[in-house]
Amino acid sequence: MMLSCKEVEYSVGRFRLRPFSLELEKGEYCALLGPSGSGKTVILELIAGLRRVHKGRIMIEGKDYTREPPQKRPVGILFQDYALFPHMNVYDNIAYALKISGMTKPDIFRTIQASVHELDIVHLLDRFPDTLSGGEKQRVALTRTLMTHPSVLLLDEPLSALDAGLRDASAALLKKLSSDGLTVLHVTHDPKEVELLAHRSVTIDP
Amino acid sequence: MSGLVLLFLVAPLLGLFFSTSLPNLFQAAADVQVQQSIGLTLGVSALTTLIAAVFALPLAYLMARKDFRGKALLQGLIDIPIVLPHSAAGIAVLGCIARDSALGRLADLFGLNLVGSPFAIGVAMAFVSIPFLINSARDGFQAVPLRLEQAALTLGASPFRVFRQISLPLAKPSVLSGLVLMFARGMSEFGAVVIVAYYPMTTPVLIFDRFNSFGLGYARPVAVLFVIISVLVFIGLRLMGRTGKKNNDVIL
Repeated sequence: MMLSCKEVEYSVGRFRLRPFSLELEKGEYCALLGPSGSGKTVILELIAGLRRVHKGRIMIEGKDYTREPPQKRPVGILFQDYALFPHMNVYDNIAYALKISGMTKPDIFRTIQASVHELDIVHLLDRFPDTLSGGEKQRVALTRTLMTHPSVLLLDEPLSALDAGLRDASAALLKKLSSDGLTVLHVTHDPKEVELLAHRSVTIDP
Repeated sequence: MSGLVLLFLVAPLLGLFFSTSLPNLFQAAADVQVQQSIGLTLGVSALTTLIAAVFALPLAYLMARKDFRGKALLQGLIDIPIVLPHSAAGIAVLGCIARDSALGRLADLFGLNLVGSPFAIGVAMAFVSIPFLINSARDGFQAVPLRLEQAALTLGASPFRVFRQISLPLAKPSVLSGLVLMFARGMSEFGAVVIVAYYPMTTPVLIFDRFNSFGLGYARPVAVLFVIISVLVFIGLRLMGRTGKKNNDVIL
């Protein structure tokens, strides 16, 4: 099993997440559906380690990551607002995880060159995030996340901020990543996205 | 009404400048005691600010990012020096470094007397000025979106790396502003400094000493010189900060 959430419980303030369980096979694309405020994003943050699980366990590739900090988890997350670092250009944003891993500058350059062609952002490398369109920001943020070679990719409403044309292109890209074998958990409130992309869906009740 | 406020601020300074002749000003500038006191004041204040930053910035980050029991009390403690009469702050600092205090006794073992030393001046300056740095930096860290720090964590960065490479650069304008405020507040401090160290004389103490011993005519040229230097340093640091901010604006 690639990802396994077992009876995960969490509460903050007046919000309380009902015990949540989910199992994802390698290469599976699962959509997490639910109305606003049901805790879809909270579940992604719990899996990524950005919030501490109160009860239950989170296993990835058979290893218990429930108490591990976010930087130790083999999880990539694409935030709804992309969270690109505004003081770094696109190249440095993408290189961030590679620098942390201790890769040499020439290796970082080669790795980035290989990825940016594939995601069509080669012309953006010197630009700063505030000069990018929504679709460009998303491709850059996705490339940055994929640099960590995550076992599980978490997507927080990745298509909601894009206009129709970009949405199709972005959906095609996500579909390709999935067909390449990446395990994906995709938060959305749009049933059309589920139909288009996901192998199956899980609905969270408020 | 606004004009009246401006006049209120500018009139004493203009009066100070117009009642000082150029020869007197040059004479003060050539005075070795004045030069030494200005050097001491600027040097100790700058060094104090830099050393304090090492401790104040992590605290400011903690105040911006963490919720914990007693946080309001801690914020109150940080702000205390702002509301204390500065002579009382000086007495408080003196109590910590006097020969009969733990720190004073420790220094005594090495044959040092902290009272009346540049160290005492630095401690007094830091005590009254550090809240300006902490509060300004805290506001800067608070303005950095939490999502960016979280994104860096998920990319494999340690919390310290996130602080160094994400939070600190993005809070830079506020941190620089806090450093300038702390430096400026420290170098202009009189009340606390005069209690812990009459000698060696910082410039505010020297101005007071000349006024007390020789009268207004002798104190005024030193005061004018120090105001000019303070304003120049302040403008210089502000311009540096603005350049940094401009660069940040471009990339933000």
